[in-house]
Amino acid sequence: MSVYRHPYKEADFVIRHLLAFDDFCRDNALDDLNSDFSQQILTQAEKFAAKYLLEQNRQGDLQPPQLIAGKVLETVGFADSYRAFIEQGWASLSASEQYGGQGLPNILAVACNEIWQSANLSFSLCPLLGQGAITAIERHGSSELKQQFLQKLVSGEWTGTMNLTEAAAGSDLAAIRSRAVAEGDHYKIYGQKIFITWGDHQMSDNIIHLVLARLPDAPPGVKGLSLFVVPKYLLDEKGEAGIKNDLRCISLEHKLGIHASPTCVMSYGDENGAIGYIIGENNYGLHYMFSMMNHARQGVGVQGLGVSERAYQVALEYAGNRIQGTDRAGNSLRIIEFGDVRRMLMLLKSGTEAMRALCYYAGFETDKKSAAAANSEIASQSAARIDFLTPIVKGWCTELTQELVSLAMQVHGGAGYIEEAGIAQLVRDARILTIYEGTTGIQALDLVKRKTLLDDGAQAGLMLAEIQQTLAQLEKSPRGDVIYHSLNTALADGRAALDWLRANVQQSSCVAGDYLQLWGYLTGGWLMAKSHLIASNLLDNGLGDSDYLQAKLVTTKFYAEHFLVRTNTCLASIKAGGDTIMSLSEQQFFSHVN
Amino acid sequence: MSILVIAEHDNDSVKNSTLNTVTAALAIADDVTVLVAGSNCQSAAQSAAKITGVSKVLVADNPVYANQLAENMRALIVELAAGKTHLLAPATTSGKNIMPGVAALLDVGQISEIIKVESADVFERPVYAGNAVAKVQSLDAIKVITVRTTAFEEAGETGRASIEEVSAVCDEAKSKFIGEEVAVSERPELTSAKIVISGGRGMGNGENFGLLEAVADKLGAAVGASRAAVDAGFVSNDMQVGQTGKIVAPDLYIAVGISGAIQHLAGMKDSKVIVAINKDEEAPIFSIADYGLVADLFEAVPELEASL
Amino acid sequence: MKVIVTVKRVIDYNVKVRVKADGSDVDLNNVKMAMNPFCEIAVEEAIRLKESGTATEVIAVSVGPKACQEQLRTALALGADRAIHIETEEQLESLNVAKLLAKVIEQEQPGVVILGKQAIDTDNNQTGQMLSALTGMAQGTFASKIDIQGDKAIVIREVDGGLQTVELAMPIIATTDLRLNEPRYASLPNIMKAKRKPLEVKTAEELGVTIKAHTKLLCVGAPAERKAGIKVADVAELVDKLKNEAKVI
Repeated sequence: MSVYRHPYKEADFVIRHLLAFDDFCRDNALDDLNSDFSQQILTQAEKFAAKYLLEQNRQGDLQPPQLIAGKVLETVGFADSYRAFIEQGWASLSASEQYGGQGLPNILAVACNEIWQSANLSFSLCPLLGQGAITAIERHGSSELKQQFLQKLVSGEWTGTMNLTEAAAGSDLAAIRSRAVAEGDHYKIYGQKIFITWGDHQMSDNIIHLVLARLPDAPPGVKGLSLFVVPKYLLDEKGEAGIKNDLRCISLEHKLGIHASPTCVMSYGDENGAIGYIIGENNYGLHYMFSMMNHARQGVGVQGLGVSERAYQVALEYAGNRIQGTDRAGNSLRIIEFGDVRRMLMLLKSGTEAMRALCYYAGFETDKKSAAAANSEIASQSAARIDFLTPIVKGWCTELTQELVSLAMQVHGGAGYIEEAGIAQLVRDARILTIYEGTTGIQALDLVKRKTLLDDGAQAGLMLAEIQQTLAQLEKSPRGDVIYHSLNTALADGRAALDWLRANVQQSSCVAGDYLQLWGYLTGGWLMAKSHLIASNLLDNGLGDSDYLQAKLVTTKFYAEHFLVRTNTCLASIKAGGDTIMSLSEQQFFSHVN
Repeated sequence: MSILVIAEHDNDSVKNSTLNTVTAALAIADDVTVLVAGSNCQSAAQSAAKITGVSKVLVADNPVYANQLAENMRALIVELAAGKTHLLAPATTSGKNIMPGVAALLDVGQISEIIKVESADVFERPVYAGNAVAKVQSLDAIKVITVRTTAFEEAGETGRASIEEVSAVCDEAKSKFIGEEVAVSERPELTSAKIVISGGRGMGNGENFGLLEAVADKLGAAVGASRAAVDAGFVSNDMQVGQTGKIVAPDLYIAVGISGAIQHLAGMKDSKVIVAINKDEEAPIFSIADYGLVADLFEAVPELEASL
Repeated sequence: MKVIVTVKRVIDYNVKVRVKADGSDVDLNNVKMAMNPFCEIAVEEAIRLKESGTATEVIAVSVGPKACQEQLRTALALGADRAIHIETEEQLESLNVAKLLAKVIEQEQPGVVILGKQAIDTDNNQTGQMLSALTGMAQGTFASKIDIQGDKAIVIREVDGGLQTVELAMPIIATTDLRLNEPRYASLPNIMKAKRKPLEVKTAEELGVTIKAHTKLLCVGAPAERKAGIKVADVAELVDKLKNEAKVI
């Protein structure tokens, strides 16, 4: 298996140039921060990942956690990696300094997450869920809850989980049946939750479960859900993990991928009720969950990026070494010399670059929002931009990831289908990404309904206007000809799609998937075009790494030629509308067999 | 031009590395003197006098040189450097330990691990773990040089040089030899063996090196290891073949379970015949091996031993 | 007792070196750089001396262009207390580096100086030994164990054929071999703290050292390539080839 090498030049280009991170740090008086420092952090993160995460990745795939005597035993070696992870402070990178975090900007958390996820997706999910629990308690919890739980969650001594799904409540959380009953200063929780990632393990002293449940007098539907903190071990008088709470993992799922991440069925209150503490107000649980959703969903987009980058590196190494066939002079050829293999590698390289640009861009909007004064115009602009981009980051990146990891396997030929080559695990691991944290279908509906139609296309219009500005700059760029034409067409496709949607609101759910993909290719293309302009400008001024920048000119052009053009087919499908999609009777789906 | 070669010896006889170094010296000029500094080292001096092409042997026989501690050796060599144009030593751990200090005291540079003598002041040496070869010119009046022994043939032993005693006693009294833990082995020393069999990470653990030892015993070979095997704790560092370990160039080098990282290749690629045994058909070691065998080493190595 | 540890900025060991087309040198333009691996071991050893209470202060020193402050910051993040950067744009030869370090030693009066045994770029393996000669301090090169015992140090050295133990009068110069220790990684909080640790910049001029060239690099070429031979089917064929074709057994 090839070594993992952090794409540090890419990360630096995006952070330093595309996002203008140094300007941001200066404008917001973040004295110690700049792009150089961010590089330093990422360099150390790479070292950590190479030693503690990458080697365990295959091990975890082959030897998944086991449920023995009511305890989930994680893959051997993971506990050591986790201990090193928290000891070296990586768990608390972006958490607030007040609770012992490092208080670094979200963009650095995103860039580090890419590294963890390239090296070991299963492992990375554990600290990621902890971040969710931290955010929920920090934003909505009482000061007592904060004081009891935050410090140890931030340090990583305790991990966190998210308990939403139940057997009958997947995408539709209104069907949640778990219940909570008040008892003194706490609640008793009863119910069963499924698909609980890292729901149990022995890597930390305690596990803090966040559980959505229904109070006895709660209104029906999603407006009747409350959010509870339910620790695996109740806290003793010193605030340490004490006696075991009435909750347990009753089974582990057998999954296609991310084997090392235990996916638990959790049972609460089998004996006399699991003790839990309410977060915020009664019946606001889902609201609180939504406040973390953008972050979580963008996080899954970044997972797609991480896995795609790794898949690209594995394919690239194979293509550079695999000898197959000879040229006319009788010299043997490496498969990287063949046009079709080149095409696949270019799709991988440019596709991954576009994903990184989009993920980092969206992640950085969070920093802009946090830095701006609350309720200021900048804050609300950033919030709207985050809302709009989140389903695109999640839906488009993870779908593109499927294509890219599949191509990376294809580069290998037959060898790739063999587990030992390593690419098969990436294909399997990646498959979950379009599913969890809201399927692509859910993302598409979100983009169409809440993010486009709800504001009558206002934010979509702003995005299009901004792309128009980039287009105007491209027109003047001597090197940007191909990209200009491609982006010009794609922008027109975007406008047409928006107009069509607004005129055909009743068909929105049928066209949502294509609408989301169109926006993905378009925003990816926009950021690649901006990257092209920056690279071109740096080269003209004799600045930067010319080799890297020349390659950037090529990958951005390739993106325009091969990915951006896909907006056209998306638009064609959108315009076809939902009539054909819906016109078969259910009976007719069986027309070929009945 | 007049050259002083610092002999490496065990007080009884000079080591082969001295013979390679004399060959390098003779490629520069004819006037080659060998210094044998040690304690009760007369017999080593006798053997130095037999090296073909050596005109004179200097013997500094005193307890202060017993273990050739760098501090005393460099002071002695500096005293003897007057009138010399070149000071050469083999690039062994001993030569590397002593010579840079000599250069510093003479206020000259050192040219490390030369692999070729182009002229009296131009030499070739590998850099970047053997990924590049630099041609460097010395600008100093006295050239202090260490010699990569595998790059030069061993000088013959047909000479009859005169032996001259050196009375200088240089005792810096900074360091004291306490002891030595020499790997006791019936097998030849790694750097001078005609056949070397080395194991890599593929060996799995230190005990499995027994498989290689069995073959080595039949062939009269030395046993080496890659840095990966040393890093993994299978075997000790003195067995390491590679840019940061020992450089070997035997007649036959057998690499077992070694993938062929560039830094390992740098340490053995001058071997006359290279055999690679590895189950990974794609391992880079095959690209430089004369004979490659794609096989599970745990089957192939015992079979090899049985058929010898 | 102060400990001085030196760090060199070199090409990252994962990067494959390319020789420039004109053969003038290797191409280091925009190539990933990192701390020399043997220097990482040296830094680790210095920090352990402090953690064990033997040393009171660890000073990291680097000689080179401005960019090597990155490696000094890494040393600070790993646990060094302060750093000295001797800034020079030239690629200095070992003797010049040793002379600069000797001046720093004169100013700081450390009990122990730890260097990597060699840098993975020039592969010279010289600076520590030269520094010992220039300062008159005892040297323990290629160390696999360093044990400070008051006014003396016991150093176990990796030598051809085994291990040698020497007793050195303090203060000492040591150079590191692979097995001395396993370097730690910098933790995130320490990376943050390192930003605020003092880093002093000096020049050769300020230190009163005249830089002098002792060698001239004429050209750099790729090493002679060895061609792949043949694959044999089994052990029997291998033995046959070695006996009858190569005639080496």
